[in-house]
Amino acid sequence: MTDSQQGYNELLLTSEIFYLLLVALSFYLLFLSRTGEARTVWEVLHPVFIPALFVATSLLLTIVLSSEKVAYKLLFVIVHSVLVHSLFSIIFPAGDLSGQQMVLGRTRIVYNNAILHGWPPWTLGNVFSEIFTRFAGINFQAALSVVFARMFSLDLLPVHLFLVPVLWGVFTPIVAYFMTYSFTRNNKAAVFASLLISAFPYSTYFGAISVPNSLGFIFFFYAFYFMLKYLDSNGFQTTFLMLAFSFFSLMSHYLTGVMSLSFLLLTLAFKAYKSEKKTSPSTTRFSLMISFVVSVSLLPLSFIYLRFFRPTTQTVFTLDKLPFTESVGFFLPHQLFIQFLQNLAKSVGLFFLGELMYASDLKTILLFIIGPALALLYMIYLLFKLKRNPSIKFQVHLFFLFAAFLMMLIDYGILTLFMDDLPLQPERLWVFRDFIGVPFVALAIHGVFSSVNAFLKSRSPPTVSFATLKVLSKNNFLRILSLLLALNVLIPVVLGGWITLSLEVSYPRVAPLQTTWYELEAVKFIEENTTEKYVVIGDIWTIFAGEVIVGVNNPRAYYFLELNKTGYDLFVNMKRDPSPQWMLQAMNYTDTTVAYFIVTKPRLGADEFNSVVSRVLQNKQLTVVSVPGVSPEKLYVFSYRKG
Amino acid sequence: MLYNSEPNPLGEQVGDITMESKLRSRLENSVVRNKSFLSSLVSYATILAIFMNLNSFQSPLIGFIASSIYFLINGVFLGNAFFEKEATFFRLMLGILLLFMLLGFVGWFAIVCYNLDTIWVTLVLFAVATVCSLLNRKVKRKK
Repeated sequence: MTDSQQGYNELLLTSEIFYLLLVALSFYLLFLSRTGEARTVWEVLHPVFIPALFVATSLLLTIVLSSEKVAYKLLFVIVHSVLVHSLFSIIFPAGDLSGQQMVLGRTRIVYNNAILHGWPPWTLGNVFSEIFTRFAGINFQAALSVVFARMFSLDLLPVHLFLVPVLWGVFTPIVAYFMTYSFTRNNKAAVFASLLISAFPYSTYFGAISVPNSLGFIFFFYAFYFMLKYLDSNGFQTTFLMLAFSFFSLMSHYLTGVMSLSFLLLTLAFKAYKSEKKTSPSTTRFSLMISFVVSVSLLPLSFIYLRFFRPTTQTVFTLDKLPFTESVGFFLPHQLFIQFLQNLAKSVGLFFLGELMYASDLKTILLFIIGPALALLYMIYLLFKLKRNPSIKFQVHLFFLFAAFLMMLIDYGILTLFMDDLPLQPERLWVFRDFIGVPFVALAIHGVFSSVNAFLKSRSPPTVSFATLKVLSKNNFLRILSLLLALNVLIPVVLGGWITLSLEVSYPRVAPLQTTWYELEAVKFIEENTTEKYVVIGDIWTIFAGEVIVGVNNPRAYYFLELNKTGYDLFVNMKRDPSPQWMLQAMNYTDTTVAYFIVTKPRLGADEFNSVVSRVLQNKQLTVVSVPGVSPEKLYVFSYRKG
Repeated sequence: MLYNSEPNPLGEQVGDITMESKLRSRLENSVVRNKSFLSSLVSYATILAIFMNLNSFQSPLIGFIASSIYFLINGVFLGNAFFEKEATFFRLMLGILLLFMLLGFVGWFAIVCYNLDTIWVTLVLFAVATVCSLLNRKVKRKK
């Protein structure tokens, strides 16, 4: 080993140690930021966290662009990925509000053995609902969480909170690497892609919340990778793994399942095209087009027919969302024309950006679209390159990826502009789009990096180092110094900045008050100090806290479902007329012997809270339950016992 | 940059990973060989440890150690069965991912049929360990 090589290795090792220290510091800062009363992570995040993350990310980029072993690079990326997806789970004691707590509420009753003789515990209307409910992703996630919690002998809460951040953090970079490598055979770009996936805000958000859809995304990514591999291979294993991962993406969530099915169809069409394009080019092209149209249609149609499986879903096609249907209001021709242009711009904006179009902050919009836009541009560039040289490798892969990306754009447009009452936000499709786009962003940036590198090599003495710079002319010296800086400092810093800024828009800046420590304490206290079966009447926020500790619809410790009308009416009636009759009604309805009524000041507002509490205290029929450590200024718990 | 290199399979192309593949760790080899069903027996022993820990000690440390061994052995089995050509790191990671899928699937089946209490979780672990062991054996026989 030469001296310069040894020096380089030492520098690399130092960078790696420094990087790991910075990541450890970032985790520590996250733990320092942990709070029991906040709306968003940004309210309480330690001020040093973002700068530390920025330096760590920039350093990681220099490691990724170095000649370090791939496995080590990936390990560093995985550590980084787990860090950026753990903000909710570390900072909030009950994780992000609502979605994942609803999942936890249902998982809890499995964990607490509250439901025996199979899931679901209630009878369903028809066979389709039965199938849908049994195969719903929540069961699969519940199974994973409960098995892990029992294996590690931990409570369900931490296992549930970290399930997706850890699985996503570990397995998504690996599959991004695989996918990029499969059609580029470029190691650096592939590792780079595994890191760049963190620059896509919506993907980061879904990697941070433990919901079945997030699990489905992970399995879908692997299904998609094996689809790409299947284009080259006829092996049983590839086919099996492609189908297995597609099946598990369906088991996790119907969105990822339907998308897997759509892409499977597209893969089969491309495979047929690849093998038959020489014998019957026009027929294969036609069948490819038909397959593309069918694949695009599958998702919108599946939402329409979801009503057979889930009667509450009533998705319809509509033209009402098109801005063209808005009334014009004036009739002069040039005004009509201007209005037409404005509507057209609005439609195009909605088609590509959706709700993001109404975001007031330009930085947010840019951070959401820069990655996909770069991916699309580079795809188009590669397709043009392909046209000039059709003999180059992997052209079918490239066409397939372009078709898949296009499919996502069209589906998103259809869902945004032509469909109403969707069962989920169409923005979830961005996660698919981002995953397909990330290899191209990595390739584009790596292309710039390689060009600068090649230019540097061609214009400099055989070994450029700061020592040899002295012998160069002033012009050459400045040029090479600036290129060296660009290569080793500017590119990592700019990209590190991009990834860090993306994190800032990944986690919401506006949110309701998260589940507070005192709500959790109240629920825990009731659970630990009630021997009989009980029911809790509270607002939706109390129900979320209840889901975290005892689960929802638990026959022994009953919390109504979040949108249950009876539960909601009981709470409203208790607020209006805080008397035992509503509590008796709740006990009779749930076959319990004790009822609790919880009101929280920050949720109700000071005026309503004080008014309800004073009426209950005047009434004197309900017992005040004092929760140790919780001030009456924050929360009140009242109880009433049957008989 | 994009299309110049020859399309070799992953294991052949990536220099440093290939090295790792060649120097497949002794530990992995001994797990895969499963001489006298030793690895399978260790895997079953970890299930017993998990079961006893759940019923008596309830120690996260014991749970963590036993679970890690369980994941390692069965992850190696599945990695060897499905991703033999990949490098060691990827073989293990993908094997563990498949193991999680299998655990989730069998656990889901238990939830839908009855429930997932301590005994049922133990049965799930046992069933998954047996499937992994059989798959490993099948691949070994093929060789």
